Amino acid sequence: MSIFIEKDTRVLIQGITGSEGSFWTKHILGIGTNVVAGVTPGKKGQKVEGISVYNTVREAVAETQPDASVLFVPPKFAKDAVFEALDAGIRKVVVIAEGIPVHDALQMRKAAMNEKAMVVGGNTSGVITPGVAMMGIFPYWIDRVYKQGNIGIMTRSGSLTNEVTAMVIKAGFGVSSLMGVGGDSVPCTRFAEFLPLYEKDTATQAVVMIGELGGTMEEEVAEAMEAGIFTKPLVAFIGGRTAPVGKKMGHAGAIVSGGQGTVAGKIEALEKAGALVADRPSATGELLKEILKK
Amino acid sequence: MKLFEYQAKELFQEAGITVPESVLVKAGSSIDQATDKIGFPCVLKSQVMQGGRGKAGLIQFVKTQSEAKEKFDYLTGRGVQTILVEQAIDIAREIYIAITIDPVDCSTLIMASSEGGMDIEELAATMPEKIIREKVAAFRELEIFQTRDVMFKLGLTGNAFKQGVKLLLTMFKLFRCYDAELVEINPLVVTGDGNLIAADGKFIIDDNAGFRQQSYSLSRDQFDSDIEFEAAKEGIPYLQFDGDIGLMCAGAGLTNAIYDLVNYFGGRVANYLEFGGPNYRRAVEAMEFTLRNKPKVILIVTFGTIARADVMAQGIVDAVKKLNPEIPIVTAIRGTGEEEADKILKTIGFENLSDTEDAVKKAVALAKGGK
Repeated sequence: MSIFIEKDTRVLIQGITGSEGSFWTKHILGIGTNVVAGVTPGKKGQKVEGISVYNTVREAVAETQPDASVLFVPPKFAKDAVFEALDAGIRKVVVIAEGIPVHDALQMRKAAMNEKAMVVGGNTSGVITPGVAMMGIFPYWIDRVYKQGNIGIMTRSGSLTNEVTAMVIKAGFGVSSLMGVGGDSVPCTRFAEFLPLYEKDTATQAVVMIGELGGTMEEEVAEAMEAGIFTKPLVAFIGGRTAPVGKKMGHAGAIVSGGQGTVAGKIEALEKAGALVADRPSATGELLKEILKK
Repeated sequence: MKLFEYQAKELFQEAGITVPESVLVKAGSSIDQATDKIGFPCVLKSQVMQGGRGKAGLIQFVKTQSEAKEKFDYLTGRGVQTILVEQAIDIAREIYIAITIDPVDCSTLIMASSEGGMDIEELAATMPEKIIREKVAAFRELEIFQTRDVMFKLGLTGNAFKQGVKLLLTMFKLFRCYDAELVEINPLVVTGDGNLIAADGKFIIDDNAGFRQQSYSLSRDQFDSDIEFEAAKEGIPYLQFDGDIGLMCAGAGLTNAIYDLVNYFGGRVANYLEFGGPNYRRAVEAMEFTLRNKPKVILIVTFGTIARADVMAQGIVDAVKKLNPEIPIVTAIRGTGEEEADKILKTIGFENLSDTEDAVKKAVALAKGGK
């Protein structure tokens, strides 16, 4: 079981003929994902890795009935591509692009809420069910990171995910569903919104959250735990605990402003809600062992 | 991109929001023409990015020509490049008003308070009940009834009320049309004769919207250092600090974690630099920037997603051959092609580490003069 993508999930790839799109299509197929079609306006009739390309999402939906779409489109076209997918009836969308304007992201998130759809990203590596399928840009062949198991992982960072997940695997665990929330200040789906899915998922025994300074997403997770929405064990690693105030630390969303978004505040809220917080990536695996013994 | 006060006020004025009469004066020129035009008393406002200008002495109130000259020399002597000479205004009341984003419910958020002049963080911490909030959902416009509601709550009447309604609608239009992350007027002054004047202005434009907001280009004044400015022009994420370990890491999340680990193990970071994503083939430039803050050691940590470890390793080898850095370099370059990366780095005598903490500890020890 997975919370987002299964072996039989029918996947569409928007922007499939671009350099990123075609490169990752090969790997998305490589892990075993059921890719049913691709879309690039004006490229109908072409094939990428044997996958048929259509001009529009509507056309691809009529011909191949996809359930989900992953977008390899430049940030300035991300909003348009998300709306195109939603309008064609697709309810699971993953947006890889980094650099989406904040005002566009607000509309993307709102549109997803209106349609009761789940749009993941932008600025994310995507979503992967190790050993099964992925919609994203994960080096799934690195087996000390991408190993099947029963730990859910949700993260604001691609690079740090490899680092932390390697520690989870080293401690003897594997991953059920890895969800990349993305590094932007307006992610279309927030950490706490994945929790009900992990709560229901029988394949997920505990969740590791890889958070970061800035915003309030980690605090919302603490609230969901306090409210009993999420009752499974949770271990967190939060990057940026020594970052200076007011500096934007790489990710658009990684900034402490107006006293909000400090790592200290996040840790306090999470620990109060019963989570364990690792003080460095290497401690994550051990904390997971500890919390699962309880 | 954060605009300077004078740029924010130019936008306000063009859109019909009243701002004090002012003249912009550059360091090195004379303030006389400006004060002749504005008259006395007037205010000399340093156009710098830092907050808390009043407390830092970067805003000076002057009553005479000689005082104006003296304060102008004082401010430019402190390195201020641009000064806004502004008419002093007759203040009856000060209001806070701002527009920003609420990422949770996807709305545009208006915040206002009768406690103008105070900073909003302070207000939120001490008197949260005094903040008036009004939200505009995505795909909706700000409606007049909402602006009226805000003005009633602020206790405005007569002319000031009418001007306030118009002002807020204008701010909202600017917010949407300039892809702003923040538009703030603090204080918004109610004058003795009941008019509204924007006495200060803060305007932040979303960097990601640069492709459709091209009115402003990066300027040196927006950055804390020359290196940060030059790196930004090159599209390399770079922050300068005062430690001695230069970071070249891939990915914002990992770089932040390494920054923390260096501090955890007792070291100090000289710079934050992201050598990954679209920049992973630019090792030479990345190393050049890293060397400029004179670190005692360079720490390179990557765990590639898109970026191949072997390509990054080859880049490092090329950079070392070209730049000949005289300081030790510690690497932990992992990800796709990592076995190949180990071999490539061995050709210049580097032992590529596989564990992040080992790499950080080694760099900290080297920076302290150990091995």
